[in-house]
Amino acid sequence: MLTQTLALLTDAYRELHAKKLFWITMVLSVFVVVAFSGFALTPTGMSYWIWDFENRINSSLFPPELFYKFLFTNFAIPIWLTWAATILALVSTASIIPDFLSGGAVELTLSKPISRVRLFLTKYCTGLLFVGLQVLAFSVGWFLLIGIRGKSWEPEIFLAVPIVLVFFSYLYCFCALFGLLTRSTIASLMLTIVVWLCLFGLNTTDGVFVTMRENTILKLEDKRDVVRRREEWAQKRLDEMKANGEELPVPDGVMSTDTLEAINPMIRTGRKDVAELEKTRESRVRWAGIISGVKTVFPKTQETVALLSRWMVSKEDMAMFQPGGGSNVRVNDREDAGEEAEDFEFGQHPKLGERIEAAKRNRTVGWVLGTSVAFEAALLVLCCWLFARRDF
Amino acid sequence: MSNLAISLNDLDKTYRGRVHALRGVSMDVHRGEVFGLLGPNGAGKSTLVKILMTVVRPSKGRGTLLGEPIGSKPALAKVGYLPEHHRFPDYLTGEQTIDFFGGLSAVPRRVRRERIPKLLELVGMSDWAGKRVKTYSKGMRQRLGIAQALVNDPALVLLDEPTDGVDPVGRRDIRDIVRRLAGEGRTVLLNSHLLSELEVVCDRVAIMVQGKVVRQGTMADLTEPEKRYEIELTAPLPEAALGELRDAAPDAHPVELSGAMITAGTTDPDSIQPLIAILMRKGAVVKSVRSHRPSLEDLFMRAVTDPETGRTLAPGAARENTRGKGGR
Repeated sequence: MLTQTLALLTDAYRELHAKKLFWITMVLSVFVVVAFSGFALTPTGMSYWIWDFENRINSSLFPPELFYKFLFTNFAIPIWLTWAATILALVSTASIIPDFLSGGAVELTLSKPISRVRLFLTKYCTGLLFVGLQVLAFSVGWFLLIGIRGKSWEPEIFLAVPIVLVFFSYLYCFCALFGLLTRSTIASLMLTIVVWLCLFGLNTTDGVFVTMRENTILKLEDKRDVVRRREEWAQKRLDEMKANGEELPVPDGVMSTDTLEAINPMIRTGRKDVAELEKTRESRVRWAGIISGVKTVFPKTQETVALLSRWMVSKEDMAMFQPGGGSNVRVNDREDAGEEAEDFEFGQHPKLGERIEAAKRNRTVGWVLGTSVAFEAALLVLCCWLFARRDF
Repeated sequence: MSNLAISLNDLDKTYRGRVHALRGVSMDVHRGEVFGLLGPNGAGKSTLVKILMTVVRPSKGRGTLLGEPIGSKPALAKVGYLPEHHRFPDYLTGEQTIDFFGGLSAVPRRVRRERIPKLLELVGMSDWAGKRVKTYSKGMRQRLGIAQALVNDPALVLLDEPTDGVDPVGRRDIRDIVRRLAGEGRTVLLNSHLLSELEVVCDRVAIMVQGKVVRQGTMADLTEPEKRYEIELTAPLPEAALGELRDAAPDAHPVELSGAMITAGTTDPDSIQPLIAILMRKGAVVKSVRSHRPSLEDLFMRAVTDPETGRTLAPGAARENTRGKGGR
């Protein structure tokens, strides 16, 4: 059994070694690391090789290792590894299953004393090996970059290897299924990209609904705060009027719940706004829940990659990079009883980024990885079942 | 241990689209023999071999391979297989190809290292061991295919069209390899269109037509009923002489006369001596006396010819009549 596994793994290595795209992607990965190594923090902002830029993010606020970790988790991984390099990896590996199943090749392999399930899963792992080696090389590059430029050796960089591997496996299980069904490299690649776009669409929809929900909640909190201040002010004024023996602005001199509104008519408007916002919040919480429920079933590509940022950069450190982070902005600081609360445009609330980040981080690792891997496992079981029953 | 290398009982295969590739095939291949499987295109030969190698699953029927049920992994470990139109990974060298398939057959690395140079030598590919398969010609790939089929030191070797695309020298070499394998006590199942080659190396053959085995046996068994003596005269003999000839040689039955040609249904030279004596007595001049043995091609052509219409049966597998049937 070990002999067969070793033979399959050796063949997998030889197959990858023979693929030009494997080496092209590897060279590009090195190039990306070198390109990112040009960034550095200066006392006034950032520099890129010989060019300086003034920026809020500068060496007086951020330690260099944090800056590079932020670049790694927020740019290098999401942009390079999980988009560009993934497309290259899919193009390179989409042919593995169709080639394996092509006439003349599959008969020889199937005639050997090895189970079909094992054969299929090993071929599947060959595709993952491609990405595993790429990410490993990329992570080594970043490990050295942060170590040399940031003066901090961060072994958790290598968490990128399993994370990106799991992310790629979500897509590759579709690629394997389509390859098995169509036996065509082009068809399996195209269909996988369509699925990827659908997953991206679902993630984006989820992101929009979470943003809308958090935005409404923040607005509601702000509005409640404003109403509370107005009520406090009105109460204070009422007490003063009573103490001074002034005539109370109450119809027929009868005190009621509307007394404060009579003193400050803006309270009524505020309460109305709160009631409307509560309705909106309910609706948005419900819709965000529905989208999240749908998403539970499918692989969560973006959130899986975001785990890396969650594990490598703390919530507090991440807040420093958010708009307004690190500058002690206070919301509605100017308000008093007579002023209207600042009404931020959608998505402009200074706390929104932090709240969205917190909402994302509230999703458990079990939910993100567990449900995604369960979906992948189900798809692989289907692939194995189809492969084991098929005539060639 | 069973004396049979392959035993098939009522094997049936219907592909999707209701192509009935095999129709109740029953066949035995004895250990140590070279068995030829022949038939026209689409007769079901490759399907049969693929079922043996678990590449295709039978719809019905049972069979054993080296005494184990078809699909048994220990049995497959003792079988070497060269598929028709095989395709090796282009990125491997000849040596790596044999090594890879040896590994899949669970041959230990040390054994493979010893065996691979010998196998390359056997198929005449030693000089090409380190070259990539994509640089090989069709004939070289066939040779390499045979080498990989032997890497696990098999007790049974299944060769599907082994001489396809091979030049005459290569064919002779492959024939020699098959003879050598048989000499070593291995069972060889050859699937080929080249009847003359099968005739030379096979102990037994089976002829398949439209998914059925129509004839099966040793070359002697199959040709025996059609062996005869042909006596050619310089001038035609009158029909009236036929009765006398038949009476004179009862062991040479049936004796037929057709102009200047007399045929006697016997292979025994003693049986035709009385016929020759009568002919000489009648003053007939004997031009030639030939012992006629039908070739494999004769047998094959007879098997693929419809006895009623005299036409060659249409190539390809039979398509199931779908009317009134619920499925396979």
